[in-house]
Amino acid sequence: MKTESTAKYVLRLTLTLLIITTLVAASLAGVNSITKPEIDRINAEKTQKAIEAVLPGGGEALESFPDETGLVTAVYQGESGYAVQVAPAGFDGEIDMMVGVGSDGSVLGISIISHTETAGLGAVAADSGEKGQAFRSQFTGLTGQVLVTKDGGTVEAITGATITSRAVSQGVTAALACVADLG
Amino acid sequence: MNFKKQLYEGVLTKNPVTVQLLGMCSTMAITTSLFNGLGMGLAVTIILTCSNILISALRKVIPSEIRIAAYITIIAGFVTIVDLLLQAFIPALSESLGVFIPLIVVNCIILGRAEAFASKNGVLASAVDGITQGIGYTLALVIVCVIRELLGSGTFGGGLLNGGQGFRIIPEQYPAMLLVMPVGGFLVLGCVIAGSQWLMKHLEKKSKKKEAAKR
Repeated sequence: MKTESTAKYVLRLTLTLLIITTLVAASLAGVNSITKPEIDRINAEKTQKAIEAVLPGGGEALESFPDETGLVTAVYQGESGYAVQVAPAGFDGEIDMMVGVGSDGSVLGISIISHTETAGLGAVAADSGEKGQAFRSQFTGLTGQVLVTKDGGTVEAITGATITSRAVSQGVTAALACVADLG
Repeated sequence: MNFKKQLYEGVLTKNPVTVQLLGMCSTMAITTSLFNGLGMGLAVTIILTCSNILISALRKVIPSEIRIAAYITIIAGFVTIVDLLLQAFIPALSESLGVFIPLIVVNCIILGRAEAFASKNGVLASAVDGITQGIGYTLALVIVCVIRELLGSGTFGGGLLNGGQGFRIIPEQYPAMLLVMPVGGFLVLGCVIAGSQWLMKHLEKKSKKKEAAKR
């Protein structure tokens, strides 16, 4: 160490770090090339399932759609109406959800694709149990502005998860507005 | 090689969660079901063992001035690999742990063990350290998980047993929701730490008595 010149010393530090980062990057690229097709497939499958859950027969993605609320991420058109993917902000991050809207402009059903709400509270909105199903079925048939009872609407919020319930209502409202604009 | 001693330390006397108080963020956030606790514990154990082995193998090559940068790069690499693999092959777990998998990068347990152990010991000892510390972490998480899930949601084995619903032990209307929320994490962890302290004192007294009896 003592005999090493400053230039050599700096070079040694730089090269060591460079080699380590290069090797890490290379191995990540390798793993990514294996997992990417699988991850893409799983995501596509999830979206497809969510569409079919709210819009019988599924639908084709529209390339352009009106989005005044800024919450709409995709719109799928099917025979019996539209499936609108919205991402309202929940208690803890965005709630990625699909809203089916019938040709009469009312909600056919909603399904939550992914979320990071609190387990046992907000997460109830997405779970497959009785409570979750009861919560989601409230939205079926609604039109216009969807609000929770606390805000003067009809949606019974999940106990202890008003923010999540509000977010879901907001998403449904945005989806309805989007379809109304589509005509 | 002293696997037994290292295991005893990892699980009890130097447990990363209850004694070293490392990795508190993940401990609070994800310990709401058995599935989460086991999954997180396993992910951390694998990453910790891999990074310990590699860092120990490179301990003479990495200049001490840049060691933190080098360690974090290696750890981040392993975490990203595990994250991608989980997303691709165990999507349910990846979804349920969410952002806490990428956050393992900054979990102090990994960097802490790299700095305190792997950078000073041989490859084999470091691998054992990774496994034993990982077991200690997993055990602590699982205990917190079981308590919080049972008292907070009234179930056991949520996300894992009985088709993902878990077994309902307390009827749905009774559980204390408070325990599932972050504040419940602090309460339960406090009790678990107290319990482990009591156990350590108890074992210490016992071994002292034994010694006294020998004399």
